[in-house]
Parts: sequence; structure tokens; C-alpha cells
Amino acid sequence: MRVLAAVILALIVSVAGVLAGAWWAPFVAGLAIGFVEPRARVAVPAGAIVGLLAWALPLVAVQLRYGAGASAESLAAIMGFGHQGAIPVILTLVVGLLLGATGAWLGSASRSLISPQLVKG
Amino acid sequence: MLYASFAGAGPLPALGPAFNPATGAWTMAADAAVGSQTLHLSGLQQPVNVTMEADGTTHIVAQTDHDLFLATGYMHARFRLFQMDLLRRQGEGRLSEVVGKAALDSDRFELQLGLLRTAQAEWSAASSRSRLAEIAYAQGVNDRISEAETNHQLPAMFTLLGYQPKPWTPVDSLIVKGDMTQTLNFTDTPLVMALLQKSLGSDLTAQWFTTLPPNPQSPYDPGPYPPGASPAPIAAFSQVTDSEAVAAADAYQRLASLPAGLVASGGDSNNWAVAGFRSTSGGSLMAGDPHLHLTLPAIWYQLTLDSPSYHVSGVSIPGTPVVLIGHNQHISWSLTDAQNQQTFFYLEHEDATHPGQYFWKNAWQKYNTVSYDIPVLGGPTDHLTVKLSVHGPVITERGQTTSVWWAGNIPSQDLDVLLGIDQASNYQQFRDALSGWYSPTHNFVYADDQGNIGLISAGYYPQFAAGQPWLPMPGTGEYDVTGTIPYDLIPQKYNPPDGIIWSANQRQVTPDYPYYIGTASNFFDPGYRANEIHRVLSQATTLSAADMMALQTDTRDYLASEIVPILLQAIPASPSKDLLSSWDYRMEVNSPAATIWWTFWQSYLSATFDPYWKARDVTVARSDVNDALGQDLEAWTLGDQNNAVFKFGGSSNTATDVMRLAFASTVTQLTRQLGADPSTWTWGKVHQRVIENLAQVKGLDYGPRPDRGDANTPLAAPDFPSSNGPSWRMVVDWGKGTFQAIYPGGQSENPASAWYDDRVNAWFDGKYAAMLTADQAAKSGGAISWRLQP
Repeated sequence: MRVLAAVILALIVSVAGVLAGAWWAPFVAGLAIGFVEPRARVAVPAGAIVGLLAWALPLVAVQLRYGAGASAESLAAIMGFGHQGAIPVILTLVVGLLLGATGAWLGSASRSLISPQLVKG
Repeated sequence: MLYASFAGAGPLPALGPAFNPATGAWTMAADAAVGSQTLHLSGLQQPVNVTMEADGTTHIVAQTDHDLFLATGYMHARFRLFQMDLLRRQGEGRLSEVVGKAALDSDRFELQLGLLRTAQAEWSAASSRSRLAEIAYAQGVNDRISEAETNHQLPAMFTLLGYQPKPWTPVDSLIVKGDMTQTLNFTDTPLVMALLQKSLGSDLTAQWFTTLPPNPQSPYDPGPYPPGASPAPIAAFSQVTDSEAVAAADAYQRLASLPAGLVASGGDSNNWAVAGFRSTSGGSLMAGDPHLHLTLPAIWYQLTLDSPSYHVSGVSIPGTPVVLIGHNQHISWSLTDAQNQQTFFYLEHEDATHPGQYFWKNAWQKYNTVSYDIPVLGGPTDHLTVKLSVHGPVITERGQTTSVWWAGNIPSQDLDVLLGIDQASNYQQFRDALSGWYSPTHNFVYADDQGNIGLISAGYYPQFAAGQPWLPMPGTGEYDVTGTIPYDLIPQKYNPPDGIIWSANQRQVTPDYPYYIGTASNFFDPGYRANEIHRVLSQATTLSAADMMALQTDTRDYLASEIVPILLQAIPASPSKDLLSSWDYRMEVNSPAATIWWTFWQSYLSATFDPYWKARDVTVARSDVNDALGQDLEAWTLGDQNNAVFKFGGSSNTATDVMRLAFASTVTQLTRQLGADPSTWTWGKVHQRVIENLAQVKGLDYGPRPDRGDANTPLAAPDFPSSNGPSWRMVVDWGKGTFQAIYPGGQSENPASAWYDDRVNAWFDGKYAAMLTADQAAKSGGAISWRLQP
């Protein structure tokens, strides 16, 4: 329960941060998750999900409000991928996912350095 | 990936801020959605109403002139901020700061040439009228920058390049004006002439690169002129020395390596007018289509401006507060480049006993210097010191120190002139306003609601007491610019008796004109478009707006109409000849004859001149001087087929023999390239047009797609693929009160916007849209209203 609550709280904070321009919010949220849940096998997937959703939900909002297709194609063109709009979408989601996952891994690792017995338990 | 998210990697921007879906580049989706709204702008004095038509054409109605320009700045920045930033960075030598050392050569050159210094001088001398406009305009731009930064709405390219725009200043607007001056009037032709004289030889250079055009042309101002001497033919006043040749080659190569557009390479614009007594509507007609590099976003932003002092409609250049081409309630105007020589090179006399000095007017003078720091993304700051002689900036010190005198460096209050034109209501006011216009020299065509028409080639025409200005000249004082042609005596015409007037970058005057304005190759158009326009306008007894539109999209190649009948007499029967025999000289996409003609003309030029180029090891690419050589070849083919040029190596060839050889070569080449059946050699297979993204993102280009026209047709489409052409087509019928126009692009620079390239297909199809008033626009379908509040 404690982990689930932490994840939900982290997600809310992350989305709010991303909307405010703090794109690194999922990384910080991941750190917090890792600190709360030092077991990496739990914290890292949880952080990854938070990071993914924190970047995916605003992107979904963009799609619902304005349509993201033309923007995706334009970004792909700017990146040199022709009009393969899926590429910037995937890149965006991967960045969010990795921010959350690496934050959680770092938090988990830091916590395990401080209190190694918690990881064993 | 984590590192790249924070700091970027290689060419990648910092991925975190760039791809944040809420505040990064994805905001281009929200930016593309434009709806009615109320906005609050700092600095407004009264509320302003803005109406946008369904295609984004903008109508600003303000209660004060100040608010009009402030709102114009805001609207430009709302839709073109990145373009504006690029334009000012180009002129200010600050591109390297955001794109790295790839732009360093351009930045160094721009700072040497001096657009920034000129803009600062212009601002110091600006009139109160233009100061008001430029300050208010800058405020509007800065309102938008602040708003976009606060709301995370900066254009995506800023986010992707990882920088934010600095505040806009009035000097930035003058820099943008300077960019246009440079792209239209800064030339390297004296350097080319020096290299030709050195390598091709004085004899052939003098014969082939004449002062006056050797071919038949259609000047719009045939005189009478004031008495005086005509320009002398080009002759070698002295041999170009080795050191002078080294200097010319160094400067020439340096200019050639700059990005396209920094050195003018010739003009391709048209404009003309028809007096009321020759129009079907009874009112005067006017047509204008300036030909420029076609980009997305376009150089133009279409709008109408209404305030107590201004009621004007047309196109503006983002970054400047004025309508450059358009109409008001009484007059309309458009422009083409006048092409007179405005760039001159001086060989400074130096000596080892006077370091840092040059000899001028019998005394040693010290160079002035000015230093700049150029920030370079990802590298150390570059330090540049510019040396300035009395003639201008030194651009090379290899061989012999060479400085450049450029009319674009004379402070020219062009924005004030344009504000005057925007307010003019008759020819006298229009002409008076233009008296302050120095550079770039333009042919301003005029028509009004009283049936009057006119054309005046306003600008600075440098004159000399001595010397041959088509070559680099000694900088010792005797050959300096002494002034310009008096305004009353520059090329101009008002209400000509035949009721038509036209310009297409051709030499404006006949050989009797008593002032030097440049040579045939420096750098007037060969005149084929002007000849065709004159032919069409003179044929009809009366003309309509529809005729104007047809002429703007005319693909008849005047040169072909002269040469092909002669060619047909020279060549044996063949399927290719049959195609040419039935051709109407129109460069249409589905025409195989067009392909045969164009390929033949290139082969004919090659067969005639390449032997000389090879034998004399000429250091200038022949293609760089094809316009001049083409005029010669045209003249010899029409009237001197036995010219010695055809007898290279002691042969007894005539033009007929060389044409026959060139035609055989043409058929061989096209067979190899397009197959054995000449009927399939359609022009669209070899000739395409592309509209390039301004930031050089290939994936955001439009095209290439097959397109009609060539370098000689009124619908100009030079090069392969062509990226230059009619950047704006406007047709005015004062009798019917109709104003119609189009440009190939869209109002928004945002590639995700429907307004990015929505006008391009209609432009390709030769269609026009009505230029509405603000009231008409408000009632039009799909109109969007913005209320701008203080």
C-alpha cells in the first residue's frame, strides 16, 4: 500500500511538474520512490511507469485538444526522419520512462547505501 | 539518455526541455490552433481589433498610429518570431551563437561588410515618424516574446536549438532591411571582371563583356535625356597584375563560399502598369511579382493596416513595421530590383614603410578599426577586427589589400520612405517620398485611382570622375565615388503616351543615357522577360486584370522565339526538329520541345565558349557569366553569324555550323538521359521547383515538384530545381476596385500549422485571392477576431 500511495503521489507531482515546465520532475519523483522503496526490482519499474505516464498524459492531452499528428511529423522532419511521426512520440515517451526509471534506481541505490539491511529484507 | 536529457549530445538538443510534452517543442500543436480571443498587451494606448481571414491574412485596426505598429510587431512575432530572429542574427553576425562554427564565415563576413554599423547609423538619423513606428513595433515584438516565454509558447525551433530570443530593438528592424539590401544589391562582378581580364584576356573580355547590351532590349525610359556623354565601352586601362589577381581571386572565392543569398546573383522580378485609357475597366491596372528565394515561411506576411494616418494593404517583411508592396485607398505600387551597379572594389596602395596605413589623396591615412566578439556555440569566442579605409571595409589582404564600397552602407531611411509611400495619395507624393531612397535601387511601379501610371528607378547611382568601375579600381582617390545622378535625371516615366510601362530587371535606358549605371553584365537582366512583357502589353489595344494575371504566369520564352526559327533552318529533319517546328515557345511541364530548346541553348553556349575557357584556363566558371555570354550569342546568331567567335582554332565555322553541332549533342544527351523517344522528353521531367524551409530542414520543404517556366519567362523559374521565383503576385484594377494577390507559403512559420504552406498549391495553379478590407474580412467565412487590450 505504501508503495502504491508513493507511486500515485509521485505521479501527481510529476505531471504537475511537467505541466509547469519542470521536465525533470519524473526523475525527482523516481528518486523519492526509490528512497521509499529501496528494492530496485520494485522501485525501478514503478519509477519507469511514473516517468512514462508523467510524460504520456500531457502528450495525450495535446492529442485530444489539438491533435499531435502534424507536430509529430514536423518534429520527425526536423530530426531528419522524414515524416515518421511515430519516432518523436516514442522518443518522448522513452525520455519520460528513463527519467523515472533512472531516478528510482538512483534513489533505491542511495537508500541501499545508507541502509543496506532494508534491501536484503 | 539521461545525460542527453539534461545537456544534449552532439547535434541533439537537451532532450528534457526540448521534448517536454507540455512546454517543449510539442507546443507547436497548441500554437497551430488559432481561435478568437482577448489579449492584454503592455504599451497599447487604446484597444486594437485584429481580424484574421481563414488563411491567416491579418487585418489590424488601431485607434492610434502607435498602436498600429505595436500590434503589427506583436502579430509578426506571434507567427514569425524565429524567422525574425534568424534574419537579425544573419545581419548582426550572430548565427554562430546558436548554430555553431558552421556559420562563422557568414558572421565574420556580415560584420566586416557592416550591416550592423549601417543600421546603427540609420537609427541615429531616423525621423520622428519612423522612430515612432520602430519603437512601437519593437514593443509589440517584445510583448509577444514575454508572453511566449511566460506561457511556454516560444516557437519550437527555439526550444530545439536551446536558446531564447533576446529583446527586439529598432536597430534589429533596420538590420532586416539591410539583409534585403544585401541580397539584392551586393555583387562581386568587378572581381569577376578582373579574373576574366587576367585569364580570358583583355581582348575577349572587352569584346564579350560590354558596357551596353549587345542584344535587342526594351528599356522603359527611352528618353529624351539631358545632353551628355554615353558610357565608354569596356577597355583594358591596364593589365591586372598578379597581386591584383590574387586579391580578386581570394575575395571572389570567399564570397562564393558564403551561403546563398548573401551575394546578389541577378534579378527575376516583374512589374508593369497600364493606363486607364488602355484598360477594359477604364481605370489603371498594375501588376507586380517580385522574384526572390522561395522559402517556408515566406519572406512576406500579408496584412492590412488601419489607423488615423494609415490605410494600407499588402505584404510586409517580418521584422519591419511597414507594407513594402501593396496599395492604399488611392495608389498602388510594386517593385523590381533596378540592378544598377552599387558595389565597387578598391585596391588600397600600401607600403612597408607605412604599416597600418594606405595612400589616399596624396597622403598616408590610417585605417580605422572596429573589433567584434562572435560567440560560437560549442567553441571559443571568435575575435574579429575589421579594417576600414575611406572606401569601406577591407575584405581581403591577400595579394593586394582590397576594400569594398557598397551603396548599402550609405545610411538610407528606407522605412521612413515606405511610411511615406504608405500614406501617399498621388504620384507627386509617391515620387517625393522616394527621393530619400538610396539602396537597394528599385524600379517602383505606380498606378492610381485617377488612371495615372508611372515608374521610377529610385536609389543611389554612384558616379566617378575617372576610372573603370566595372573593375577593382586604385584606391588612391582619383577614382572615388563623387556622388549620384540627380534625382530628376534617374530613369523614370510618368503617364507615357502609349499607356504602358514595365520593368523586369532590364537596363532601364537606351545607349543615349548619359550616365554610368552599370555594364551589361553588371548586373542587369538579359532582358528576355522585359521583351516578352513589352510584346504582350503592346499587342493588345485594351487590357484587363485577367490579362495581367495571364502575363504573370506566362511561360513564353522570348529568347526561344528569336533563336528557334533560325535553328530550324540550320538542322536536318528529325523527330526532335518536328517537335520544335510546332512549338509555341512555352515552357510548359508537358512540353518536350521546351526540354529540347533549353538543352540546346546550353549546348550552344558550351560549344561556342568552352573551347576558349579551356584554352585560356579561365578562372571564372563559365556558368557564372552565362547571362552576359548568352546576350552575345543571341546577338551574333541574329545578326552576325560569321563572327570570329565561331572560328575557334582557325576553323571556318559559322553560327549555323555550331548550332548544328550543339543540336546533335542535345539529341544525344537527351536520348541518354530520357530515352529514345523525343515525345517523352517533357520539361517536367527535368525541371522542378522546390520551396525550401528557411531553417534548411529538408523534410519541411515543399516539393520538389515538376513546374513550368525557366529563367527567361515572365513566370520565372531559374535553376534545377528552381528555388527562386514569384514570391508575391499582385494585380490591381483601379477601374473595378479589385485587388488580388497570392504568395507561395502561408502566414505561419509553424510547420504544424495549417497556415504553413496552405497557399502553395493555389500559387502553383496560378490562382489569386482577393485582398479584402478589414470590414470585408470580418464578414468572411472562417474569420478569427482578436481583441488586443492595453
